[in-house]
Amino acid sequence: MLRFATARLARAGLTIAMVVTFAFVVLRLSGDPAQIIMGADAPPEAIDAFRTAWGLDEPVWVQYLSYFSAILQGDLGRSMRDGRDAIVLVTERIPATLALTLPALLIKIGLGIPAGIFAALHRNSLADRIVMVVAVAGFTVPSFVLGLLLVLVFAVQLGWLPSGGQESWRHAILPVITLGLGGAAVLARFTRSAMLEVLGQPYIRTASAKGVPWRSVVTGHALPNAAIPTVTIIGFMVGSLIAGAVVVESVFSWPGVGRLLVVAVSNRDLAVVQCILLLVAVTMVCANLIVDLLYGLLDPRLRSGTRKAG
Amino acid sequence: MPEGLVTVATVVPPQPKRASVPLLVRLGGAWLLAMLAVALLADVIAPYGYTALDLRNRLSPPVTLGGSWLHPLGTDELGRDVLARLIYSIRTSLLIAFGATIIGAVVGTTLGFLAAHFRGLVEQAVLALVDFSASLPFLILALAVLAFFGNSLVLLVCLLGLHAWERYARIARGLALAAGAQGYAAAVRGLGATPWRIYGRHVLPNIASTLIVSMTLAFPEVILLESGLSFLGLGVQPPETSLGSMVGYGREYLTRAPWILLAPAVTIVLTTLSVSLIGDWLRDRLDPTLR
Repeated sequence: MLRFATARLARAGLTIAMVVTFAFVVLRLSGDPAQIIMGADAPPEAIDAFRTAWGLDEPVWVQYLSYFSAILQGDLGRSMRDGRDAIVLVTERIPATLALTLPALLIKIGLGIPAGIFAALHRNSLADRIVMVVAVAGFTVPSFVLGLLLVLVFAVQLGWLPSGGQESWRHAILPVITLGLGGAAVLARFTRSAMLEVLGQPYIRTASAKGVPWRSVVTGHALPNAAIPTVTIIGFMVGSLIAGAVVVESVFSWPGVGRLLVVAVSNRDLAVVQCILLLVAVTMVCANLIVDLLYGLLDPRLRSGTRKAG
Repeated sequence: MPEGLVTVATVVPPQPKRASVPLLVRLGGAWLLAMLAVALLADVIAPYGYTALDLRNRLSPPVTLGGSWLHPLGTDELGRDVLARLIYSIRTSLLIAFGATIIGAVVGTTLGFLAAHFRGLVEQAVLALVDFSASLPFLILALAVLAFFGNSLVLLVCLLGLHAWERYARIARGLALAAGAQGYAAAVRGLGATPWRIYGRHVLPNIASTLIVSMTLAFPEVILLESGLSFLGLGVQPPETSLGSMVGYGREYLTRAPWILLAPAVTIVLTTLSVSLIGDWLRDRLDPTLR
């Protein structure tokens, strides 16, 4: 188990290093930041001063090394627009985003998994069909369309809820529902197919044949095995807690990380974009790491690496 | 070789009668064909240009809400015909989605084959890249690249082309390795075929059905990504128009003129739904192992 954990940890570190390198390479490929920020007709002295101030006059590898070490020390640069530390700008938006994504995650898990399990256990029943139709719709209706439809019905027509902003908890209801429903549909579909696959396995037939009550077959044999693939997708959802609401935050004018990202992208505020990129990558990699370690606990075969393909 | 196949086929007992194509899949196919026809014939069937203004009929409602037949789906704030814009948006969105899906499949498959062919360092590098793409939600990555490079239609297509490349790479690598073990690849290699010939003429046709299924599954995701980016104002830029940017624009008039937004929104949903239905059906049909 320890070797397994170390190997996964090393891979996680490598992936983050790749994201940092990616950000650096893309940043350098995209042209001269001095020109972009200062504008094409800025006086040469101003551009030179800007270059010196941001270390852009050093050789590329020096820039890369200092970039890497700065990031290791938690220095992610300052917003090129308002001069504040990018990390501060981003972190102060995190609570607002979590206020949407955490309740949405609860909806996804609380609604999606039971629906998926129920549909799988009652395959081809009416309930199964309904779950599947809703699940496919949840995947094919983009979140901005769902969000705007909810606004149209509940804010514009009925006037029950506000259409955007962050003044009270009532403002969070529509965005949370928008996020939660889409994710619940994905999770239901995934859980259903994981359950169906497990239910078709020989050990389920064996357990039923030797007289284990169906209820215990499901709770004792089917659910733990179906949990393994489902944990992956939940891990992905946990990993996108920070920036999984880019579109929904924009629909509802919610001042979270996603909204900040969109604004930073349209202003080309590279330090902020890069900070969010790294933050998301770190969250995602951590979530994946936890999932992998959980796998090791859930599935002893993976620890020793003797799991057969397929 | 074909003779051998024919004799084998005659020995095999007759296949059980194939289930007919489900109604929903047929409807999906019909919708998709209609969309393709609209995209191809956009210049012919569009009643107006997509930037043509009709200032006397601004925010005119569609016929179903008491508008005139002059503008069957209504007009927007500038008096531009919603139907005409919808037709051109369908063309843009489909063009981007097709282009991007093909780029993704070609890039991914090539890298997968390279990994399977060279093994060693090349394979490790490809797998590390796969890890990297899996570590970032694609929307975030796309936004970052757009922030760094600015926006253009070509960049947008290439960028969306990177979506799902790692899936094709994984599939192509796995299947190419399996093909290498199956003997036919080794046989043609023994006959002196070049790698181009082995992978292009022998391995690729054998794994094509799996790749095509993956493409059908990735296609709606690309449409959703493009419309999401365009909705945020970071994808297709005006005066060009796509389904997502139409929704983004129509959002400003949600209370006064919801039809501006509803027409493209319904089109997006029906199109992605159709492709998903066809993709799921093809997957069950051609490749039960892929899930």
